[in-house]
Amino acid sequence: MTVTPLDIAADEYLTVAARAMRTSGGVGALDSLGWWDLLAHLGETDLRTAVFAVFRAQGRELVSSPALGGLLAQPYLEAAGLEPGTVVATVPRASARGRSVLVAVGDVTDRMLLVDRPGQGATVAEPAAVVLRPVHLPGRLALHEIDVDLSRAAVTIDEPRAGVARDRSAFLGRVALALEIVGAAEGALALAVDHATHREQFGQPIGRFQAVRHLLAWARTDCVAIEAVARHAVALDSAAPPRYGEVVKALAGRNGRRACERALQVLGGIGFTAEHDHHHHHARVLALDALLGTSAALIPPLGAWLRATNADPGFASTVLLGDPSW
Amino acid sequence: MSFPAKVGAGDPLLDVRTYAAELDAWLIGRPVCLRAVAAPISAYAARVKAMVELMAALHDGAWSRYGWPPEVGGLGGSILHRAAMWEALARHGVPGMALFEHLEVLAPTLVAHGPRPFVAEALPEFLAGRQLWAQGFSEPGAGSDLASLRTTARRTDDGWVVNGRKIWTSWARYATWCLLLARTGTPQSRHRGLTAFVVDLRAPGVEIRPIEQANGTDELAEVAFDDVHITADRIVGEVGGGWQVAMHILSHERGTFAWFRHCFLYQHLVDCLPQAAADDDAALGNALLDLAAVTATSHVGLRAHASDAPLGPLAAHPKLLLCAAEQAVYDWVLATQPDIAVDTSSDEYAVRRQEYLFSRIVTVYGGSQQMQLDTIAKQVLRLP
Repeated sequence: MTVTPLDIAADEYLTVAARAMRTSGGVGALDSLGWWDLLAHLGETDLRTAVFAVFRAQGRELVSSPALGGLLAQPYLEAAGLEPGTVVATVPRASARGRSVLVAVGDVTDRMLLVDRPGQGATVAEPAAVVLRPVHLPGRLALHEIDVDLSRAAVTIDEPRAGVARDRSAFLGRVALALEIVGAAEGALALAVDHATHREQFGQPIGRFQAVRHLLAWARTDCVAIEAVARHAVALDSAAPPRYGEVVKALAGRNGRRACERALQVLGGIGFTAEHDHHHHHARVLALDALLGTSAALIPPLGAWLRATNADPGFASTVLLGDPSW
Repeated sequence: MSFPAKVGAGDPLLDVRTYAAELDAWLIGRPVCLRAVAAPISAYAARVKAMVELMAALHDGAWSRYGWPPEVGGLGGSILHRAAMWEALARHGVPGMALFEHLEVLAPTLVAHGPRPFVAEALPEFLAGRQLWAQGFSEPGAGSDLASLRTTARRTDDGWVVNGRKIWTSWARYATWCLLLARTGTPQSRHRGLTAFVVDLRAPGVEIRPIEQANGTDELAEVAFDDVHITADRIVGEVGGGWQVAMHILSHERGTFAWFRHCFLYQHLVDCLPQAAADDDAALGNALLDLAAVTATSHVGLRAHASDAPLGPLAAHPKLLLCAAEQAVYDWVLATQPDIAVDTSSDEYAVRRQEYLFSRIVTVYGGSQQMQLDTIAKQVLRLP
């Protein structure tokens, strides 16, 4: 695929991260890349780009790691003056059963877990106080629901400091999830492109039929859009417009699901089998969409917010066009 | 208005941040030229007049000369200056680029590949609104299949003679110049036998027939060329190199132009917020996502152009996303203001109706949506 000059730096990190994931698995890759140490340097554009490249790589390679929780915990640790990389944050998942389910992504056995309770500060739970219940889903995603007894736990990060960390943490987490979603959707697209190139019907590869070609071109466009907004979030970081993390995450969930659906249509029945890898990519996109706000849950409040504030939701030229570091 | 234009590397306005901030400060003062164009005007001729006056003022004040090289009358800087200028104009109430869209569709190619002495005279005239441009690509028999076009340019002793017909020629009735794609090779030569020319639309043998559009604006026209003479120095690119010129133009029309158009869509959305209802929040949120996708992908295009990298087939992505965003914004506008479909009592509704209807045809201009998808399938995904 053709790349523009802007793709190059991010693509180099992506290539390195994907290779590490393939050879060492998720947890091993984070160690070999020195990823945990990079968390203390999120203020530096280049290193931040490297931190986020890991998420797109693990989406592509269908690898699992506790990177999401590590990234989410970082602003809390910073606010509390704790050492980076020592704690992994849990993620609340909204549930129609009327309760918020706490989950952790990746293998978090023996890790200290951070639980944020808005209004009450954040608590760090020892491994002994935590029960991990594995969630068995396709997608090669290590996911656990968490039971934690916080009744006797001391508040580690008080509400004023946790409050400062909360928005920042959600922004970072949503951008990371968007990148993992695009990675997984790109994986689904690659499988479908390969299928369309080799599968023959009516005496020719189905990828010669315009109906099929257009489905795949739309899927690619869906992915390009996610990748571009996520890259802007990483590059601009705190200079991004208000609620940009929600925009990025909502767009990733919406477009990521759509790309998977288009890929599935091209694959036909084989894509709907347990034998074919498509369902792993598709299931991962669905699972990641469910974390930190589904697109369905995020989109109407974004509209309501615009309506209530009459805000101009775009970038200021001085920020986007005037930034010489692009 | 006397803005001190400082040519050269020491000019602080060459920094896009400074330029954007100073331009914003000037626009906050509500210059007279801005007041006229920012009011809703449904009559197209009146809108054109207000727009031309605005452009004249922006040129006099030197604002529109940034982003163009000094050799063609500019003050230096890159496309990022132009992107910042139109973003600011949109934010301050200018409803669209109208007949100056070709500043971002045709002009970059004229500067890169046009005959230099001519372009050095023509670009300032264009920027100042004195001499406008039209694009002569499509023909009655050649739309998506552009390489099948049949308008011919035959070599003579002192230049070329053009015969044929062009259609969907935007703003031809307001334009002085037309960038024309004509066949200089054999009838069978397809894309290899094309050459791009600059034709004076005032020349004998040119006949312009405006096309009344379904949304009430009349920016399109059909143009007939009957033995129209072109001097030899009016070739853009090389003889036989018309296809490359056309692709350069189309990569702008698809890639970077999305930035310019979407700035106005943002503003249209903000303008309609006071009429919005909670029932339509999901549609509004979706429109916001679609606009964000255009910002990010077209910004990548702007940066590529600013560093002289070709946009190539990737320009199809921002184009597709722009169409989706334009339709999402106007789907929401229609949902939230059903009156625009039927109420003829105000210019405000009339303009929104025009824009809504236009958003239904955006998937056709600059290469139909189907052609964009074909481009991605073939050149990006490399399907068989």
